Amino acid sequence: MPESSAQLAPGTRIVGVDGVRLVYYKDKEPLPVLEDVSLTASTNEFVAITGPSGCGKSTLLRIIGGLTKATAGTVQVLDSDVTGPRGDITMVFQNFVLLPWRTSLENVMFALSSRKDLTFDQKREKALKALEETGLMGFENVYPGELSGGMKQRVGVARALATDPEVMLMDEPFSSLDDLTAERLRKEIYELLINPSTSVKTVIMVSHNVEEIVELADKAVVLSQRPAHVAGEVKIDLPRPRNKKSPEFFAWVDKVYALLS
Amino acid sequence: MMLALGLSIVFALAVGITAARSRRAEGVILPLLDIFQSIPILGFFPLVIGVIYGVIPNVIGANLAVIALIFTSMSWNIAFGVYEAVKAIPQDYADLLNMSNASGWQRTRSLYIPASLSRIAYNTQTSWAVGLFFLVASEIITLGKHAIPVGYGIGIGATQFLANGDFADYTALIVALILVVVVWRFVFLREFALWSEKYKMMEEPREIHNDPIMKFYSWVNQRSISKLFLLAQGRGVTRFTSTISRFRRGIKYAVGIFLGILLLFVAGTLLARGGLSSVTIPSLAQVVSDEGWVLLNLGVSFIRVWYVYGICVLIGLPLGIVISLNFKLYDIVSPILEVISSIPAPILLPAIVLIPVLGGLPEAVAAIVIMLAIIWYIIFNVMAGVRTLPADIKELPRVFQVGRLRAWRDVYIPGALTGFVTGSITAIGGAWNALIIAEYFNPNGGTPLTETGLGIGRVIVQSTNTSSPDYTTFALAILSMTVLIVAFNLTVWRRVYHHVTKRYTYNR
Repeated sequence: MPESSAQLAPGTRIVGVDGVRLVYYKDKEPLPVLEDVSLTASTNEFVAITGPSGCGKSTLLRIIGGLTKATAGTVQVLDSDVTGPRGDITMVFQNFVLLPWRTSLENVMFALSSRKDLTFDQKREKALKALEETGLMGFENVYPGELSGGMKQRVGVARALATDPEVMLMDEPFSSLDDLTAERLRKEIYELLINPSTSVKTVIMVSHNVEEIVELADKAVVLSQRPAHVAGEVKIDLPRPRNKKSPEFFAWVDKVYALLS
Repeated sequence: MMLALGLSIVFALAVGITAARSRRAEGVILPLLDIFQSIPILGFFPLVIGVIYGVIPNVIGANLAVIALIFTSMSWNIAFGVYEAVKAIPQDYADLLNMSNASGWQRTRSLYIPASLSRIAYNTQTSWAVGLFFLVASEIITLGKHAIPVGYGIGIGATQFLANGDFADYTALIVALILVVVVWRFVFLREFALWSEKYKMMEEPREIHNDPIMKFYSWVNQRSISKLFLLAQGRGVTRFTSTISRFRRGIKYAVGIFLGILLLFVAGTLLARGGLSSVTIPSLAQVVSDEGWVLLNLGVSFIRVWYVYGICVLIGLPLGIVISLNFKLYDIVSPILEVISSIPAPILLPAIVLIPVLGGLPEAVAAIVIMLAIIWYIIFNVMAGVRTLPADIKELPRVFQVGRLRAWRDVYIPGALTGFVTGSITAIGGAWNALIIAEYFNPNGGTPLTETGLGIGRVIVQSTNTSSPDYTTFALAILSMTVLIVAFNLTVWRRVYHHVTKRYTYNR
């Protein structure tokens, strides 16, 4: 359902998180997790959220995706409030979360099952196209159990892409993969997501890997210890493709680290 | 009951440790344990009674027979637990003992027994439920001319009260039973289990050891017959590697066991008849005609087991899924289900018969008794299966706003499938046992309360429950039933189980 998306001027706000608070109750004791978190993500922006482990990064991502309700504050996507999961926001998970009893193709089509506007054949077409884009041609009829970790995550990305999302949320998408596989997938992912032929307008990724963030993100939002607030934002103004060995790269890594500690 | 439990534990320790320590013993003991827990032990009860009562024809003998039966029903499962626990001891510990030159007994005392404790505790919880079933069953089965005077017992009490129309007493008795069950299971066994926690070698996910249903699940999982044939010679339970060789071995042991049973049976017959008089060897023609009759009844029972199972699936599968998807519901409902499930079904039989509508429908009564005995396996295993699914997977339909029907079809039902199949295997096993009581129930030698038209359980009970027991029919019935069950396990269940664990198990 991509509406006139291409016309959005660069810098238009796509996601707006405003004053989000989250309090859990454990044995009636309030346990604040997020304290007044605000951030934005604009057209063609790749935003990374990071922070100490257990600070609530993933919870924040779930709130943006409408999976968890915030205690206070609002999340807006394209000027409408997010009140629950919706079709224009999608998610890629740390642990892939594929149905082991369905093939790659069926897993991708599963994400399209709520789309009443598409026929079965159209869904199949779409799913095949997404699998092709993520480099899984020829693996349509393979079950996840027979795929390597990297390929499983490719199915995860294909599943997310197939739904024509405007906002792509990624929860530590590379952290279950071994270094080499993660490296390869990272190299492809930016081009794959941020390009005019996809519906994706903005990507928000949770990560604890600072080098990964500097390699991929346009902006790093650093959260503090629990209860988390935004400790600082770093606009990573490094031209692409980024050279991970250059001194500039390390200067940015240091900048993000400085906020983390 | 306590005596039987104590005996079971000692037996289990001996057998389990032997099997785990010696490769040769392992090759013999494991398949034996497997077969023994997959055949309906209740069917052998008349035989056991015959042997023991033949030797000690008084109250003590009768009680010994009952204890022997309960022991038989409980020990296999505990023995499996011990075996697996000892197998799972890390090599480092064994090396430590090797280096200190520990003797066999020292090893047993300082390593094997402590290492098995938590598994014993945990398997005892469910063995107890099984044992209770057999306790009641054995007390209310009366065997014709040996109107066996067990003395006192809850099964006896229940039937007598009802026979006298003493509903108040009967109700009081059931309430007392529930109380005892609750106290025993939730206080004593739980304490034992908690105490044995510190002997655990490995960490388990928290959720699992605080949750009775999850415990039940891993118990059933490890007990289920199909696993029996999946037990590899290596360490612990692994997937079977060569189907064909294993199949052959299974058959070989099965045949050996039948021969053993036959021998036992002959011995039992001799003893029961006081070793005297004519041991007539039946003519071939008679065997053939008896076998025809037995097969007909077996067929009817087979259908009965499966249609009751079908009803249990229709109720248990959706119920289990719904309950475990809702955390609040799960917390409230699971302890209640646990208590209900630990009431042995046979004790309710006298009451069920009195429900006016059912009184005239022996088929319905039989079906209800079987259902009460087995539906828990399905519900609990489905519940545990859904609970073990990662939260992410359960949330997937929400993330992609998938409709309810689709979510059930693509996520919940496939997700519950492994647990469902494990539960089904155990349930069908339990159904054959319950059958023996359900198909022919005749307390105090009066008119039978249930008497289905045809059925193997009826044949088994009736052939021995007269003044002139028909041992030929009895032997044929037991053997045919055992062959059917073991063959079915080896062919159908094993394949289904293998397929399901391969495709429908969630691992990252």
